[in-house]
Amino acid sequence: MSDLDRWIEQLKRCEPLAEKDVKVLCEKALEVLVEESNVQRVDAPVTICGDIHGQFFDLMELFKVGGDCPQTNYLFMGDFVDRGFYSVETFLLLLALKVRYPDRITLIRGNHESRQITQVYGFYDECLRKYGSVNVWRCCTDIFDYLSLSALIDNRIFCVHGGLSPAVSTLDQIRMIDRKQEVPHDGAMCDLLWSDPEDIEGWGLSPRGAGYLFGGDVCTNFNHTNKIELICRAHQLVTEGYKWMFNEQLVTVWSAPNYCYRCGNVAAILELDEHLNKSFMVFEAAPQDVRGVPAKKAAPDYFL
Amino acid sequence: MKSVPTLSRGGDISVQGTNDDAQISKLSCAKLGYYRDDFLKYFVRRSSRRSPLINRGYFARVLALRQLLQQFFDVISQETVAGEEQNIVQILSLGAGFDTTFFNVEAKDRKKARWFEVDFKEVTQRKAAIIAANAPLHEELGPGAKESIHPGEGRIQTEALTVLPADLRDVKGVEAALLAAGFNPQLPTYVLAECVLVYMEAEESASVVRWLGSFLSTAACIVYEQIKPGDAFGRQMLTNLECRGCPLRGLQATPDLKAHQDRFLSNGWQRADAKDMTTIYRAYLDPAEKRRAERLEIFDEFEEWHMIQDHYCIVYAVNDASGHLRDFGFKQKTPVAGPVPFPRAD
Repeated sequence: MSDLDRWIEQLKRCEPLAEKDVKVLCEKALEVLVEESNVQRVDAPVTICGDIHGQFFDLMELFKVGGDCPQTNYLFMGDFVDRGFYSVETFLLLLALKVRYPDRITLIRGNHESRQITQVYGFYDECLRKYGSVNVWRCCTDIFDYLSLSALIDNRIFCVHGGLSPAVSTLDQIRMIDRKQEVPHDGAMCDLLWSDPEDIEGWGLSPRGAGYLFGGDVCTNFNHTNKIELICRAHQLVTEGYKWMFNEQLVTVWSAPNYCYRCGNVAAILELDEHLNKSFMVFEAAPQDVRGVPAKKAAPDYFL
Repeated sequence: MKSVPTLSRGGDISVQGTNDDAQISKLSCAKLGYYRDDFLKYFVRRSSRRSPLINRGYFARVLALRQLLQQFFDVISQETVAGEEQNIVQILSLGAGFDTTFFNVEAKDRKKARWFEVDFKEVTQRKAAIIAANAPLHEELGPGAKESIHPGEGRIQTEALTVLPADLRDVKGVEAALLAAGFNPQLPTYVLAECVLVYMEAEESASVVRWLGSFLSTAACIVYEQIKPGDAFGRQMLTNLECRGCPLRGLQATPDLKAHQDRFLSNGWQRADAKDMTTIYRAYLDPAEKRRAERLEIFDEFEEWHMIQDHYCIVYAVNDASGHLRDFGFKQKTPVAGPVPFPRAD
């Protein structure tokens, strides 16, 4: 059994890799990711997944529902880390699968795949807690810079973590971005990872403080200009797991059930067959006894 | 906070743990600059940084409650002759835990009030010990106050602040302890119950409300606690807090804003109003303060923020024999337009 297969088995048991193995894995991953386009081409059939946020045992539920990789071809739309208890195991497993089966899994970048955000929302602290240093966090965040920004399925479906940017009207403009950097605070790359669709006309300011709100007309124009039929994105918790907008020109997919172990929502993945027929698979959180919430972090926070 | 009057001893400890948890969160906010509180640090053994959502939620709660308390001081002061403002009101904090409001009130307002705090003896013992051990705290109680702090009994009895051990299930016992400590039911009184009643069985909290309604003739009673147990978020909240050993026993009886109002109106109070924290945050907090706070941290939890704030409320009820409290209530503030950019690392 190769090192890589061994690591995958180990990570599937939710056991983190040794620091030296993380370094080797990241070096291999870099070689794969650096070759990818900012608009990575993906062939159907493919199963599209939204935010995971370190909810490792719920990712295992996702694989139960969607099938194992490489038998199923997967596209994950970012936000692998932060919030949940197992960002390290979650990201490293997905990364190991990417290195092992580069044509059967596509990972694109979410707004949480960032040095700044992970220092606030948990991944940094988790690395420090599990490894006693921030070396693994450094390796991982360096890899984040190489993750693709979007994907295009059979030239018909555009997938991105957040949404559109007023600085971008064509896919070629996305292809020209120099993505190998920390997520900037504004501009096209930032917007793709931060924006949200909203029932407005044109563009609006985002309450998130980064990215924009974009309306149905913006979506229609973008799809028309780029000859695509659908924008598929993640980024926002939708309690039914998926949500159509703008006359089915855009769909949000959310794959973290009972988000933060607090929200009580279901999750979904979107299966596309070879003809791009769509079916949503809705799933719930792994049962409490399987999930094994770490004893020290006994319960999610409330106002008490 | 910490008072879980209805639980077994094991349960009591979990509920008292909610006091410690709340103080850690409040200190997390203070350290990040959400509000000033120079006294919290003495009450927290191990501090911890909370997520932006938790920080913003505690900020909203602390600011909303500070605004209501300030309003109470202001409406009572308007009716009072200048120079005769010593001890014109009382504050009664139920299940107060390690709440630091007393220490944070401005000196000019503090001298208007006699302050009473009630909680389980295990909690008041710890609070008294902490105050006795830290000069910056007991110096706030006035000269020589240290002699009036009795950690073993869980009791503090000074002119400014009285802390009493008591069990809210026994309202007659609480009343007797208050009267013995010099509490005057005729004075305008501000009652605060912050995450306290919801831990009690419904009939027990109703009897607290009924007792207060008949005991106090001029009073405002403020409750901050959870609502909406019936949806997915609410059911998960019930489960999570039960796992933590502090079930929200009263929540099914006061599941919404109307039930909260009715609990007061049917138990001897003249008027009552309730708003969820999403509404309070949108329209009833000082816009400048809100704007300032929203710049303190990156905030990427909007969907969750609205969910959790929908599941908390502030209720106030008024009994007004003296007419002092005609104008007391939620006061809408002018909203500020537009979102606020988050702080940049550079």
